[in-house]
Amino acid sequence: MSKRKIPLTALKAGETATVVSIDAVFGRGRGRRWGRWGFEKRLMDMGLTPGTKVTVVKSAPFHGPIEILVRGSRLALGRGVAERILVEVEE
Amino acid sequence: MAEKRLRIALAGNANVGKSVIFNYLTGLHQHIGNWPGKTVEKAEGTLHFKGYTIDIIDLPGIYSLSTYSIEEQISRRYIAVEKPDVVINVVDASVLERNLYFTLQLMELGAPLVLALNQIDIAKRKGIEIDVEKLEKLLGIPVVPTVAIKGIGIFKLLERAVEVAEKRETSKIVVKFGKEVEDKIAKLVKMLEGIRYWYPPRYVAIKLLEGDEEIEKEMEQLNPEVVATAKKISKEIEKLHGHICSTVITAERYEIAGRIAREVQKLVSPIKPRFEERLHNLTTHKIAGYVIMVFSLLAIFYSIFTVGGYFSDFLNELFYTTEPLFYNFLGAGTVGKLAWSMMEGVIAGITIVLPYIVPFYIILYFLEDSGYLSRIAFLMDNIMHKIGLHGKAFIPLILGYGCNVPACLGCRIMETERERLLAVFVTTLVPCAARTVIILGLVGKYLGIEYALALYIFDLAIIFILGRLAFKVLPGEPTALIMEMHDYRWPHLKTVLKQTWFRLLEFIKIAFPLIILGSFAIKLIEVSGLLELVASALSPITVTWLGLPLITGITLIFGVLRKELTLIMLATLLGTTNFAEVPGFGPIQMVVFTIVTMFYIPCISTIAALIKEIGWKKAILITIFEVIFAITIGGIAYRILILTFK
Repeated sequence: MSKRKIPLTALKAGETATVVSIDAVFGRGRGRRWGRWGFEKRLMDMGLTPGTKVTVVKSAPFHGPIEILVRGSRLALGRGVAERILVEVEE
Repeated sequence: MAEKRLRIALAGNANVGKSVIFNYLTGLHQHIGNWPGKTVEKAEGTLHFKGYTIDIIDLPGIYSLSTYSIEEQISRRYIAVEKPDVVINVVDASVLERNLYFTLQLMELGAPLVLALNQIDIAKRKGIEIDVEKLEKLLGIPVVPTVAIKGIGIFKLLERAVEVAEKRETSKIVVKFGKEVEDKIAKLVKMLEGIRYWYPPRYVAIKLLEGDEEIEKEMEQLNPEVVATAKKISKEIEKLHGHICSTVITAERYEIAGRIAREVQKLVSPIKPRFEERLHNLTTHKIAGYVIMVFSLLAIFYSIFTVGGYFSDFLNELFYTTEPLFYNFLGAGTVGKLAWSMMEGVIAGITIVLPYIVPFYIILYFLEDSGYLSRIAFLMDNIMHKIGLHGKAFIPLILGYGCNVPACLGCRIMETERERLLAVFVTTLVPCAARTVIILGLVGKYLGIEYALALYIFDLAIIFILGRLAFKVLPGEPTALIMEMHDYRWPHLKTVLKQTWFRLLEFIKIAFPLIILGSFAIKLIEVSGLLELVASALSPITVTWLGLPLITGITLIFGVLRKELTLIMLATLLGTTNFAEVPGFGPIQMVVFTIVTMFYIPCISTIAALIKEIGWKKAILITIFEVIFAITIGGIAYRILILTFK
């Protein structure tokens, strides 16, 4: 059983994976401390803590947000957000 | 006998039925305003129960008690500093784990708590059964199952809340983190002994470990040593776990919430695709979803603006029949004119507010409560991102094409202050019906529909450019969509109507004085014969820079009241409705005049809406910016047009 770390956006619809970490450093010099903290904290507060199982339901067309199921609720995450969530898939 | 008073605060996640419970408890005895110095809405109400006068305050719907948003800061400060006698934590029984995460934080804050286990009917249909007694035992607080939209359990909830409030009883249970984190918390709590601060020591210790900026800053004043130690400890934890300390603590808290949820809930029947589920799939489908969205929006737009337009005209005519009355009683002189101008202000207010804002508010709350708004946001997020907004801003923006006033008020649905500011700014640039009248009535009529269309596209381009610019310039986090899509449900009509009514009152309070004063001031200038003077004073801008006839200065001033007045006044002052005959007002001037009118100032009602949503200062800033912007771009357009067409 091998494991690989991929961004949440790389999952196909219907796939389930485990959250590993959140890559919270904003690129292009936007890495404000508060901003960074707020962004990661917000995802945590919504239940996307390391070790949590997430299922991708679908993504909106034109590179839109993705819909996931986590801790019994349905969340929409902007693609930029979802790209920063690293997950682990068991194969 | 002295009056017995109690204060109850309602707290909980967004969309759990908190406002339904609030409306149930307070009925028509409520008041909606803003938190002092903030643009966050504050809903308060009173009720009488068992000899008590109870003040109820509805805290904003939030997911956490940290400093992510002003709403969270306000809520925790209110609970810790104002110390309500009891906090009713409304939770959605069908998403228990996420909701308990918030409950645990309320417990950390040491608030006297009662849990309203709401929407148990929905949970049951999802196949979730909850052992209430066990939950009470695990949390150490009273738990009351409720179905708020049917009023089930509300009386009992209130009874239990009053019982807790009388004793100011807090949970005896301290929810413990893992041993390692607990040890660190204990260490910090010890250091915090003897420090007088509004948050309880354990809460402060946890928040310091989480790196909470507000608390860090305040503790820095009281005891810098604790802050330094906390920073050191959290670094240790970070090293040990490979995640920042706040993540470690949040994860543990969620684990506790998950454990409690699993212990008390029993999955009974298998979950089959329910109607809500199918509706969700359909409305977020990559093709059907958009088709449904377009049709819904067209229907909304059409109904608001045809029905609204009809009533608006009807009310307008009705009120204008009172005009002779004014002149009969007060004479056709200055007094009569001034009095009538104030009445005109009232009419302007009524004809905008009643026919457009009322249906808009109702529909907006309906969309929000039912859950459809979040689906539209899901579908439109990517496109809205191009102008730095996220999907939720789509609805107000689209409705801005009808009228900017309700559109600005609708920007309330944006979650952070920054997003709200961006959304209202962009909304004020959207060509509303009044501006469309000018574009079509002037450029469309005399230059051809293709020119009118070109101006529309030009406006869209400006919206796009300014939106992106504002997005870049405004400090704060880049907009990112992190949104819960709760299950579809039927909105509680009474709550929707009450929300509409009380927000309407709030708007009227701001808008009417402004509109009446504005129309009075302009009339005053007119009757005192100063209009010509004002027009001359504006001539460096209107004539020299924009190349427009002198008289347009006057019409632009009237346009502040209502934009379509620029055209109406132009006709009145020129004495003709055939603008093509007017010397010095050729095609170029028409285009420049229209461009300036499109952007130069949000009308006075829109300014009032801005004040309500983003406060005085920012409203004035946006207004000034747009005036300068319109004049600049009008002048540039004039010069380009002269060069190209002559």
